[in-house]
Amino acid sequence: MPPRSIATSIFDELRAIQRAHGYLPEGELRTIGDRLDVPLYRLQAVASFFPHFFLKPPARAEVRVCGDMSCHRYGGNELRETLAARFQGQDAHITHVSCLGRCDLAPAIAVNDHIFERTSEAEASALIEAALAGASPEQLATRKHPPQRTPVMCDPYVAGDRTSDLEPRTSDLEPLTSSQYGVLRTYVQSKDWPGLIATLKASGLRGLGGAGFPTGMKWELVRNQPGDVKYIVCNADESEPGTIKDRHIMTNAPHLLVEGMILGGLVAGARHGVIYIRHEYTDQEHILQHEIDRCYREGILGTGVMGSDLSFDLEVFVSPGLYICGEESALLEAMEGKRAEPRNKPPFPGQHGGGLWGKPTVINNVETFFFVPVILARGLDWFKTAGRNGSAGVKFVGVSGDVTRPGVFEVPMGIPYRELIEQLAGGVAPGRTFKSFAPSGPAGGFLPARMADLPLDWNAMTQAGATVGSGAIVVCDDRACMLDMALNAVRFFRNESCGKCVPCRVGSAKLTDLLTGWTRGRRGPNDIALYEDLSHAMRQTSICGLGQVVPVPIASVLKHFPDEVDAHAKGVCPAGVCFRGRA
Amino acid sequence: MSDQITLTIDGRDVTVPRGTTIFDAARMNGIAIPTLCHQQNQTPVGVCRVCVVDVGARVYAAACIRECDPGMKVKTGTEPVVRARNTLVELLMADHPSPCARQQASGDCELEAMAKASGVSEARYARRLSPRGRDDSSLSIAVDHEACILCDRCIRGCDEVKKNHVIGRSGRGYSAHIGFDLDLPMGSSTCVSCGECMVSCPTGALTNKRVIDAQLPGETLDPEWILQLPVFKGVSGTFLELNKSSLVKRRIAAGEVICREGEFGSTAFYILEGSVDVFIGTPIAHVKQEDASAGWLSRIRSRLADRQEHTRTEESGRRFIPIDAPVDLPYDKPLAELGAGELFGEMTCMSFHPRSATVRAKTEVVVLEMLRNVLDILQKNKTFRAELDRKYRQRALETHLRSVPVFSSMPADFVDYLRDRVELSRYSPGEVIVRQGEAADAFYLVRLGFVKVSERHPGGEVVLTYLGRGSYFGEMGLLGGGVRTATCTALDHVDVVKIAGEDFQLMVSRFPDIRAGLEKVARERAEQNRQRLASTEHVPIDAFLNQGLMEAQSLLLLDLEKCTRCDQCVRACADAHDGVTRLVREGLRFDKYLVASIRRRNSMEIIIEDWCIGCGLCVRNCPYGNLNLHPFEIKVPDPEKPNRMIATTRKKATGCDLCMEHAEPSCVYACPHDAAHRVEPLAFFGTMSAVKDGKRTGSTEATSK
Repeated sequence: MPPRSIATSIFDELRAIQRAHGYLPEGELRTIGDRLDVPLYRLQAVASFFPHFFLKPPARAEVRVCGDMSCHRYGGNELRETLAARFQGQDAHITHVSCLGRCDLAPAIAVNDHIFERTSEAEASALIEAALAGASPEQLATRKHPPQRTPVMCDPYVAGDRTSDLEPRTSDLEPLTSSQYGVLRTYVQSKDWPGLIATLKASGLRGLGGAGFPTGMKWELVRNQPGDVKYIVCNADESEPGTIKDRHIMTNAPHLLVEGMILGGLVAGARHGVIYIRHEYTDQEHILQHEIDRCYREGILGTGVMGSDLSFDLEVFVSPGLYICGEESALLEAMEGKRAEPRNKPPFPGQHGGGLWGKPTVINNVETFFFVPVILARGLDWFKTAGRNGSAGVKFVGVSGDVTRPGVFEVPMGIPYRELIEQLAGGVAPGRTFKSFAPSGPAGGFLPARMADLPLDWNAMTQAGATVGSGAIVVCDDRACMLDMALNAVRFFRNESCGKCVPCRVGSAKLTDLLTGWTRGRRGPNDIALYEDLSHAMRQTSICGLGQVVPVPIASVLKHFPDEVDAHAKGVCPAGVCFRGRA
Repeated sequence: MSDQITLTIDGRDVTVPRGTTIFDAARMNGIAIPTLCHQQNQTPVGVCRVCVVDVGARVYAAACIRECDPGMKVKTGTEPVVRARNTLVELLMADHPSPCARQQASGDCELEAMAKASGVSEARYARRLSPRGRDDSSLSIAVDHEACILCDRCIRGCDEVKKNHVIGRSGRGYSAHIGFDLDLPMGSSTCVSCGECMVSCPTGALTNKRVIDAQLPGETLDPEWILQLPVFKGVSGTFLELNKSSLVKRRIAAGEVICREGEFGSTAFYILEGSVDVFIGTPIAHVKQEDASAGWLSRIRSRLADRQEHTRTEESGRRFIPIDAPVDLPYDKPLAELGAGELFGEMTCMSFHPRSATVRAKTEVVVLEMLRNVLDILQKNKTFRAELDRKYRQRALETHLRSVPVFSSMPADFVDYLRDRVELSRYSPGEVIVRQGEAADAFYLVRLGFVKVSERHPGGEVVLTYLGRGSYFGEMGLLGGGVRTATCTALDHVDVVKIAGEDFQLMVSRFPDIRAGLEKVARERAEQNRQRLASTEHVPIDAFLNQGLMEAQSLLLLDLEKCTRCDQCVRACADAHDGVTRLVREGLRFDKYLVASIRRRNSMEIIIEDWCIGCGLCVRNCPYGNLNLHPFEIKVPDPEKPNRMIATTRKKATGCDLCMEHAEPSCVYACPHDAAHRVEPLAFFGTMSAVKDGKRTGSTEATSK
């Protein structure tokens, strides 16, 4: 049996109250405060921080419409305005919500916390009508499409290897081992942890959440930290617009994620692991929980992993919400029951004082953990040659926005972006022109279509002043205004700023205001200087990556689409997006 | 590993103990790094980022929290570093209400000083549009969220320094703000008014509320001396220093009167040594004005009204008279004694009630006399609360219970039983004491202040009644279905005595006459509620009532929608008062009504004696704006020819007397538009007050003078 959670239980307490009352009444919060001996301000601090919690009775229909990047391309913001106008005066509260993680199924909306994909105005209205008529959450939920499961191509426990080509060749390879968790079995017997680290280092596997820190080095660092108590955490909180690859991996290969985490825990000396999953991934939460339960039943998790003297426990922790929780130290703060505000670093999570409850902690992305057993099973040679043009490895990328077949693709590293966008994802709609793409959600900025011949490769992208990042590719066709897209991206960061430090809290608001003015033709003579000062301060002084990347979208648009930005100052939006409704 | 490490700061080699922050290393070597959020006595948090320095990494490091590394090369003042720092100051200044309250009061707002020093003269960034608000609820500390820069210094002051755990961040991102407990107004929170947050605040977000600029007469006290008194334990010394003028020590000779019944005051007294007698001249103390026909020149004399003639209505059946002190006075012998460690005059100080009794020194006494900001600090002090609680149980509970007619027959042994079982609770204005629909688990006696009783209805909230000192509530839920039938909210500062549900049930089962009495009152209340609901109208009055008008016996209301500013009322008033109008069309407003005048309960209307010297203090201090200064022509002896009188003018204060000697005030009689009314507040609010949430705004129309 899994032990008691190592993370805070405060969010479970708050959720229980919210389930019972629909919101968090003051009296109930006082009762919890007394019972847990927690000062009231600490309850308020978290209850008011995470949008998941209602401090007042909610409307009968709480409707949240995504309008970030891909959903913006699919009219999410217009949908929200239309719905708000239509249901004005009724007990429906229609608001913006940051990315729901359904970028390939845009636009996404949530009605009373149930997410609906590719929602037309008529469908959304019908859902709201149903909610207003008193449909229960369960009744609403039945209207949702279940996730589709497709096998992951490089799974070493499934026959076939389709990664060396884009076309499936299902009968090429036999399964590498007869049963899942075979890699773990080998290492539990050999306990060759230094060998495992050496293999990872040799493979060049990097953190695939976006930062690209070498995985072998991170594990070794934690392994070498003194102390008995260490933790390992999987960051499954992908919340950046366009980022949907971890959802795909968790849906289709939960066993490889779990195996990677157990291996990491045993290497680093961690007895406990936590999968920190975003609140909106309910299906994936259930899939993972199902896998973990199975592992406990089969003796893969718990005391005596696979009959050895090693022990490892694993649990799923559902995030109380927010993009900032994907920042690793903010994620740890949330797990400790606090406001998810990033910590000052150093110390880093792998070091003493920097991890969960101050203990050295390995934190990796879903995809990183996934690739550990894949590499160990298939071998270094396979991994190094799986890519193209000298790039090593395979990568999962999400392609969304203005393409005809959006989705998650498992591709060899080194593949040109153009091939990904125009062939795999079907390219832009007939009659439209491929204008630009964001290689890594809002944080990676926008590149013009002419740069799409760049390969999906860390070094090549860095040299071009861009990044592979999290592989969240968002495509824009000629109907998109790049200044409008930059504003959309900056606004996302403003909405998701935790507010801890001045540059991000105030700077992201001021930059949003500045760019809003630009899209309306209001650009003062000193605005560029103003933007440059602000950009410098935000990049250099913000505590975490969020604040540091806020200026990136507009910087990239100023660099690659200067004429389009300048045209706005003359009252012209070349794409015809801004100045709508004005003579 | 060596305990000392060497690094370079601005080109200088410095050696510091391992673990030293860059900020401290620089400071120890005479290099000042600017900061807003960092204070030496608090854990660094690195949130303002003003202290950033270049350490050769990808991004700058916050010097206050970053530890020095061996060989680190720190640059604190390069052009790009200064540029980033100045941008941060400029961003904060863009949203700063300059000059803020601190800058105005003492010229030491740290943000404004930094902006000036770094040449950030005007913020180039657009000012924030959404207001962040102010919180005026605390009596000792003013909160202006507009000036808050979220440096977390108050939070750490409250948490780390004083361990009171009241303040935290609430909300997120650009909407984040400091909040007290569950983001309550500061005055309703568990804040103990220690002042540490205010002392920690770098801007005008948390500032000291001075009651008056003048110094109270008496011996001013050294904060160090005050802090050694147990009842001031835990208060910030700087805070006491700032409030020096509001707290004095006075030595009073035996026999001297400290305060007099019926007087208005603004101070409370805490006895340090000696004892005092508390008494009232007569339970009725009915001060009547002489016949007005004598005119303004006649000296207005007071006389005590006859006792039988003017029994207070609420006194019938009472055996004790509640006063503004921790004791109640026996009706037949209205005298009590207070000693060291006791406080009196709270209600006068907090809510401007007139003094309810006369206090005279029995022995030589030493008292602390304080204004409401210091009283607030004292009342919230944990040591003081515990002491008050103990004394109440010892001496006041019994008289309090007996002062309520329905409990007057309670045997002494049951009072003893309750003594250690009751709970004393305090509520701030607006705080909910019991909520409709929740389980009824206790019975409440009002000890101080006013409680609003209201019922939820589809259209909003309907106010059923208001309960004052000596009243009780909670019996309907306990005797009935076990569920609260109404919501009871504190209107001003309310102290209640809470009797647990089980003790209440024991009481009513043991004493059938008490049960019968309570049931009778409950039935009457239910019937009154039905009648009131039947005649409900929607009037937003909460804000109005919170200003203390429930204390008024009569109000003169002007209906601003009907009023045409014809000035008939003003002329009528002048005609009735020797040619000087006492009616000024200014005052408190609610909805469409203007309160032109109020009069105190039980005829304790404000009476201005003829010897008024026109100093104007009362006019400036009247919270209702109902007193005015007027020049009068008077005759005085000619200094040169002693036997001759000459005319001169002297300013005197005037206040509305509601023409009480007439059936109707002259202005009401004169108004051709039916816009002026004299009303009885209890009846008026009781029948007209259905308060709808969200409509608590003031007047819709301004008045002209």
